[in-house]
Amino acid sequence: MLDAYIQTLVSGLAIGGVYALIALGFSITFTTTKTLNFAQGEFISFGAFIGVTMLLLLSGLAGTATAVPEEAAAAWRYPAAVVGAGVVAGVMGILIFVLAVRPFAGKGGMNWVMSTIGFGVILQSIGLAIWGPAPVMVPSPLGDDVLRIAGAGVRPQELLVLACAILIMIALDLVMRRSRIGKAMMAVAHSPQTASLMGINVTLVMIGAFALSSGLAGVAGVLIAPIASASLFMGMGFALKAFSGAIIGGLNNPRGCIYGGFILGVLESAVGLWQAQWREIVVFGLIILVLAFRPAGLFGQAAVDKV
Amino acid sequence: MRHIIGSIVLVAALAIGASFIENEFYLRTLFMICIYFLCAAGMNVLLGFAGQKSLGQAGLFAAGAYAVALLTTRYEVGPWLSLLLACFVSAVFGILIAVPSLRVKGPSLAMVTLAFGIVIEKVVTEGSEVFGGAMGIYAIQPLNIGGTPFTMVQWVWFGLLLCLVAHLLLRNLLRGRFGRAFLSLQADEVAAGAVGVAVYRYKVLAFVIAAVTCGLAGALVAQQNQYINSDFINFHLSVFILLLVLFGGSGSLYGPLLGSVTLVIIGALVARWTWIEHFVNGALLLFALYAMPKGLAGVFGALFQAMGLVGGKGGDAATQGGIVPRLPTRAMPHTATGSLLTADRLNKSFGGVVPAKDVSINLTEGHIHALIGPNGAGKSTFINMLTGIIRPDQGKVTFLGRDITQQSVHGICDQGIARTFQNLRLFKDLSVRENVLLGQHSRMQNGFASSLLGLPKAWREEGEALRKVNDILAFTGLSQYAGSPAGSLAYGLQRRVELARALASEPFLLLLDEPAAGLNPQETAELGQLLVRIRNEGITILLIEHHMDLVMTISDHVIVLDYGQKIAEGTPGKIQADPRVMEAYLGTSTEAA
Repeated sequence: MLDAYIQTLVSGLAIGGVYALIALGFSITFTTTKTLNFAQGEFISFGAFIGVTMLLLLSGLAGTATAVPEEAAAAWRYPAAVVGAGVVAGVMGILIFVLAVRPFAGKGGMNWVMSTIGFGVILQSIGLAIWGPAPVMVPSPLGDDVLRIAGAGVRPQELLVLACAILIMIALDLVMRRSRIGKAMMAVAHSPQTASLMGINVTLVMIGAFALSSGLAGVAGVLIAPIASASLFMGMGFALKAFSGAIIGGLNNPRGCIYGGFILGVLESAVGLWQAQWREIVVFGLIILVLAFRPAGLFGQAAVDKV
Repeated sequence: MRHIIGSIVLVAALAIGASFIENEFYLRTLFMICIYFLCAAGMNVLLGFAGQKSLGQAGLFAAGAYAVALLTTRYEVGPWLSLLLACFVSAVFGILIAVPSLRVKGPSLAMVTLAFGIVIEKVVTEGSEVFGGAMGIYAIQPLNIGGTPFTMVQWVWFGLLLCLVAHLLLRNLLRGRFGRAFLSLQADEVAAGAVGVAVYRYKVLAFVIAAVTCGLAGALVAQQNQYINSDFINFHLSVFILLLVLFGGSGSLYGPLLGSVTLVIIGALVARWTWIEHFVNGALLLFALYAMPKGLAGVFGALFQAMGLVGGKGGDAATQGGIVPRLPTRAMPHTATGSLLTADRLNKSFGGVVPAKDVSINLTEGHIHALIGPNGAGKSTFINMLTGIIRPDQGKVTFLGRDITQQSVHGICDQGIARTFQNLRLFKDLSVRENVLLGQHSRMQNGFASSLLGLPKAWREEGEALRKVNDILAFTGLSQYAGSPAGSLAYGLQRRVELARALASEPFLLLLDEPAAGLNPQETAELGQLLVRIRNEGITILLIEHHMDLVMTISDHVIVLDYGQKIAEGTPGKIQADPRVMEAYLGTSTEAA
């Protein structure tokens, strides 16, 4: 029984790491621009497929296939695909900011919600035209043999995902707290007006925030592909659960979002141990409960609407 | 009346036209236009009026469709009764989706509604024992007349009839008290509550209206196809319903019609290629947002205006020359206590900041009271506590002998306390008249049913409210601006509109948070005269103000706060001589000596 629990915990942490990455992305754009990318799901799917395409192209195969052969993901190609997907998704993030968010941000009516959704719908249909609707199997660079840890079967990709997610988040946390650019981002998050008076290029910081957030989604897509297999329809679910994680942790609190992502991953995994088909329903039910009792999240501070 | 006849004639012409169409595809297209019109008409209430972004309408469509499917196939309920029950089921789901909206706002709410849609999609996909999953449910009973199932033409007729009914009912509702209340939610929830709109109730109502029309549409589709499966229910449907409203013209009564006609026809043209259809919808969504923020209805409206077909609203009835109208007021209930409002030892702290510490005050009927004190003394917090926007940690507020400490914001307005805000909170896009009419909201008696059905009572109340509002506008000298959007006026006038809006709730007590802030000396003097006139109408006033000349000229009684504590009160003369007040304002007197 214990091994089943360990197995659940590890896969929960792995998937939670992915949620945490995406949730962190939500938090980054929300704190700096007060907007969210409602097309984040498509960015995750695109990340996965850009990864797939890069793996195939780098190993000299045609750009599309129903499954990626194992040797194509080996050695340096997988890390290259991760970086490549992150960069491409980041550039797409800049596009979505300039085209869909910036024209509407800061105005009433939240039209940016609809414009990012519209962008996402367009992206998905482009993706379907390029890669088709069928899911693509992606091998793990570490192979698909199950490791035995204290009797529990753990997939190497899960450990890799967890390690990558933690490394990225530690790096980001350091950048945010230590570097000049991180401080600029925090300043913009607190007050864009004051930040711009202090000589910070607010627009640039906002563009950077969207690039970073989308890049994280792209990376998350490639990391998760060997576990969930790449599909253009997978993104929405991941994005929603990551957002739920962000809500649990508090959208305004980047560290809280990371905890929220992990909590949600483990919880989902635990519910899956009991009743797999109830996962989504339990998870979203929980979110509604959290919102009802602590609208600002477990680790967030309530925003006071000054009257 | 002209509109009603026009709508009936249009629908009748379409119905007659439909009976000559033999082509099944054209009839189906017409039927789908009706279906999506129903979805859009309800969604317009939610999105265009109440301003709530719901991205989960597919879930409500599913609620109606599956309710009909299960009722007719499993429980063998008749098709007509099932259709009716499906509307109830969707209404319940509407309440369910509305619940989070009471706690979260903005992007988080949009995300939660999105999740709601996805959960329903998952439930009907995964729960194959009950919902049939991708296999779906067959043999749903269609509507029939005397046992004979509807033919395609009859479906179109029935669809047209429902559209007509939905349009006329919603038009009744939206053109009066309820429509204004929904618009106020979109503009500013805090102000909406303060003018007496029960914010939560109206939000839930808007969600329920959208849910019922959407569920009805889903049920009709299921019954017409006699089949439903989980492929119908997806995120694209939610986006499409949103697009119908945005493309047609959000907040316009004609928007849903324009949106559903154009988009269903465009959809029928590109339906052969699924991914193109989605691409086109995404592109149209972006196009609508960029190029026509008011949708097709806005474009046509501007066109008609340019062609001179629709004149701007003509000049208002000339203001009554010479006679200054009285303010509408309500009869004061007799109370034993004698004082209008008593605050007893109110306490409030935000962490280390203590904006109220054992503050007790007593307001006398028919007086102008002033609340003064240095910045940060806790004056605004005090007014917020009296109006229920902030709950005191301890203490009790009694108004007209009743404890109102725990009452809702709109309930307090109902009791007869009105207020203005330090930083203007007008409904900027609404006209001055509509702003002031919203102040009348709590005084109007017409409920949901009479407004929806357009009963004489609703018309009477609306006419009565309009008459009172015209009086108030004349009293405050705003008649000439009645038709202008409130946000377009000069700052000083905007302050006066907010005052007029507060007066429209026919308050016993008027709380004014820095009414003279940002006014020039001339305007300030005029405001002083206006306040005295309001007092002479029998309305008690408590004002926060920094203009000491104004305070000292018009007040009967002055209360001084400093660091959340009351340090003095009394007549203006007494306050000016009080050493503690001088200390609070000018520093200690010992240094000066």
